[in-house]
Amino acid sequence: MATLGRLDWYDIARATNWTPSYVTEDELYPPELSGADGLRMEAWESYDEPYKQTYSEYVKVQREKDAGAYSVKAALERSNMYANADAGWISVMKAHYGAIARGEYSASTAEARMARFGKAPGMRNMATLGMMDEIRHGQIQLFFPHELCGKDRQFDWAHKAFDTNEWGIIAARHIFDDMFTTRGAAETALMLTFAFETGFTNMQFLGLAADAAEVGDWTFSSLISSIQTDESRHAQIGAPLVTVLIENGRKAEAQQIVDVGIWRAWRLFSVLTGPIMDYYTPLEHRKQSFKEFMQEWIVTQFERSLLDIGLERPWYWDEFMAQIDTQHHGQHLGVWFWRPTVWWNPAAGVSPDERDWLEEKYPGWNASWGKCWDVITDNLLEGRIELTYPETLPVICNMCQLPINTTPGPAWQVRDYAHTHEGRTYHFCSDPCRWCFQVEPARYAGHLSLIDRFLAGMIQPMDLSGGLAYMGLAPGEIGDDAHAYAWVEKVRAARERLAS
Amino acid sequence: MTDISTAYRNNRVGPVMRHGDLAVAVAEAAQIDNPDRQITVEDKIAYLRIETDDELVLTRATIEDMLGRPFSMNDLEVDLASFAGRIDTGADSVRFYYATHL
Repeated sequence: MATLGRLDWYDIARATNWTPSYVTEDELYPPELSGADGLRMEAWESYDEPYKQTYSEYVKVQREKDAGAYSVKAALERSNMYANADAGWISVMKAHYGAIARGEYSASTAEARMARFGKAPGMRNMATLGMMDEIRHGQIQLFFPHELCGKDRQFDWAHKAFDTNEWGIIAARHIFDDMFTTRGAAETALMLTFAFETGFTNMQFLGLAADAAEVGDWTFSSLISSIQTDESRHAQIGAPLVTVLIENGRKAEAQQIVDVGIWRAWRLFSVLTGPIMDYYTPLEHRKQSFKEFMQEWIVTQFERSLLDIGLERPWYWDEFMAQIDTQHHGQHLGVWFWRPTVWWNPAAGVSPDERDWLEEKYPGWNASWGKCWDVITDNLLEGRIELTYPETLPVICNMCQLPINTTPGPAWQVRDYAHTHEGRTYHFCSDPCRWCFQVEPARYAGHLSLIDRFLAGMIQPMDLSGGLAYMGLAPGEIGDDAHAYAWVEKVRAARERLAS
Repeated sequence: MTDISTAYRNNRVGPVMRHGDLAVAVAEAAQIDNPDRQITVEDKIAYLRIETDDELVLTRATIEDMLGRPFSMNDLEVDLASFAGRIDTGADSVRFYYATHL
């Protein structure tokens, strides 16, 4: 029997909009859940998803993807990769799994919202598949690290992290809750599938896969690049939505949502992806610098596609470009300095050879960030390790929830971007973070940063031990230098060579 | 490396394929299916970035020839990790393109 080709029936089969007669449109699609900004169902009929997929094709392709990822894992299980891996690379895996795995379930919730409340039939079909994609990502990224829990209990944080009040997780939850789980379907599609997945997930799932392949960790490389093949399909939910919004006179609204989404994603990646690419990944295995990956994936590829669908560069473009050079160096310094407060062991990444690489990739590094590391290095060389631990708390941004910092050195100009709303003063790291708040203050006003919680007396005793208990970090889990300070001896040897 | 702040001013389109035999077949097919275009292939070990300016077409028939086995167009997704430009998916071809030229 002859059968129709998929494209001959796809558009008709997924045309599932009808005119409701028992309920009103707003009852069927409550505005706060559809997020359609008043656009009626007719306006969504023109939504045309570019990446069409049927359920039967989906099952077949996904089965093949899983078979690939699991067979690479099985084949390499006896390869001793883990036993021989550099401690910095082990930290990359710990940070990745803890920060990402459970967040995938938030993304699945987001896709489920689009699958039910998206007014465009094509969006609902794509999101149904996307919802299952994200369940796959959650489960596979919990399964792979599970076997490592017995080797190192920090891997337990792959599952545990999101149930704690660890500071990095407070930051991750703040952004994921904002972008994935607390908005209507249309806004969610713009933020999650467009700003986050068309753009930034490429950094963590393909850029990092390139580093993993260089390291020889094919299990991890194959896993995360396989995940990104799902993203590259369901990320296409967002672009046709922008077209519909622009056609209906809502470009400014779409631009604002996308601008918030890009900025929020950037801040998270500056603390997660930046340090692991430029400091934790062993020097000889770094495929490119973080900045070079940002240029490849975000500026050259993502920003260009944003222009093509009719949006503009974000208003904070210059600030964004400046931060790509600098911000992750500050986040890394902070993570290493407050290392007891993370569930992995940060690699300092500042041995003499590594500093040469940083100076080459980021001219001026030695004269700025390097000066801070000089002090830390001198203290370690002279056995004053206690001076390399924090005694105070950082000021944390009330939007990104990350420590406020700028490039040190003669041009140091750290400042607080403060804003008072209904009697409470909020502190922000930058103009764009403050702007995100000002755009929708009611959404964020009730949140307390970790420092706000300290000052409110919610964390007792008010010292490091109380902080660690609040964050759920037990002995054996709290972070320390990845290489047990072995890099300091490389500095000592280099200085002795110079002196002789 | 061009200045990062202006790097968005480009017209590069094409698939980013996970490492493997399909990636190699796609890179070869891109040359054959787009004879008038200069195709570049960047090998990042974990992935191949296959690009040209403005438009890049891949046909199922050519990929079958390069693989030496039957191939269904939507099986491209198994290793299509990302792409530059917009995508247009069909039963016998896939097109990557930009609607505008900068």
